[in-house]
Amino acid sequence: MNTMKILIIVPAFNEEETLRGVILGVRTFLSQADILVVNDGSTDSTANIAREEGVLMLEHPYNMGIGATMQTGFLYALRNGYDIAIQVDGDGQHNPEFLPSLIKPISEGKSNLVIGSRYLSDGGFKSTLLRKLGIKFFSSIIWILTKKRVTDPTSGFRAIDQKGLELFVNEYPSDYPEVEALISASKKGLHFQEIPTRMRDRQGGTSSIGILSALYYMLKVTLSISIGSFRRVR
Amino acid sequence: MMSIRLNLVAIIGSIILLLIILELVRTKYLRERYALIWIVTGSLFLLLSIRVQFLYGISSFLGFTVPSNTLFFFGILFLLSIVLGLSVITSRLTEKNKVLTQEVVLLKKRVADLEKSHHSGNPNL
Repeated sequence: MNTMKILIIVPAFNEEETLRGVILGVRTFLSQADILVVNDGSTDSTANIAREEGVLMLEHPYNMGIGATMQTGFLYALRNGYDIAIQVDGDGQHNPEFLPSLIKPISEGKSNLVIGSRYLSDGGFKSTLLRKLGIKFFSSIIWILTKKRVTDPTSGFRAIDQKGLELFVNEYPSDYPEVEALISASKKGLHFQEIPTRMRDRQGGTSSIGILSALYYMLKVTLSISIGSFRRVR
Repeated sequence: MMSIRLNLVAIIGSIILLLIILELVRTKYLRERYALIWIVTGSLFLLLSIRVQFLYGISSFLGFTVPSNTLFFFGILFLLSIVLGLSVITSRLTEKNKVLTQEVVLLKKRVADLEKSHHSGNPNL
């Protein structure tokens, strides 16, 4: 199924240290895909690097958050007729080696959404206690609401098909979108699954999640989901 | 009982509030849609300062021992509802702003692409 149009969406906010490596990695492991950098208001040379590398680029005039950034990419993908869109973070933690296995279930028509999980195999991803707790929490929520086991619900390393695109261009949370996206996908009857991946530790920059934002993440998702379950699906 | 002086200050204050609101609407700094609630509030203030007996009546009806507490109570209630309303408006605006920005971003890309293909198609340009 090499006729499918594939778009790699690289959300990037000040990723000048790692962006070039990410682009090279994607070109090595999934050469037929187009690469779209969505520059979320970077103040460093992220945009220049994307231009030098000759990849597609969309530029937010100001920082809008990871959710809105991905959604901009989804809009581009849907309007330009892509069959599959894949998120590969600009910080280099998503290993492009796994791109072919990430799209396989979609191109075979088995899934609408595929998540690259750090915990499905014994890849030995180092985790902090807080991260483990958070993951456990989100996994239980997803299990309760969708009766599906997801080992890595906050992983952003994902591929979606056109059905996923059609859903996410209309509803995708602006911040911390990963968990809620899975639940709205499940409500819409989309099928999702995980594949084992190994992720690298950050190659540059700093993690966006500290203890306060982790708490906010959990509270926000809980609130949104518990209220959202009373909302009718559009 | 309220002194005449205090009463006068209240009346003048209410009139000034009403005038400011009307001026804001006139100069379009305040949309009619949001002005309505302020005009009602200003008028209520004016009414209460002219006929203080109303305030005393409401207080004894609801069981407030001090009439000024009635005023504070309803004042805080009113401010809370205004702030809540503003939060709703802000949320709506944030969403609309996001959608608009995304559209602009996509349009800019499209224009750039079109310009490029136009230029390469017509070397004279």
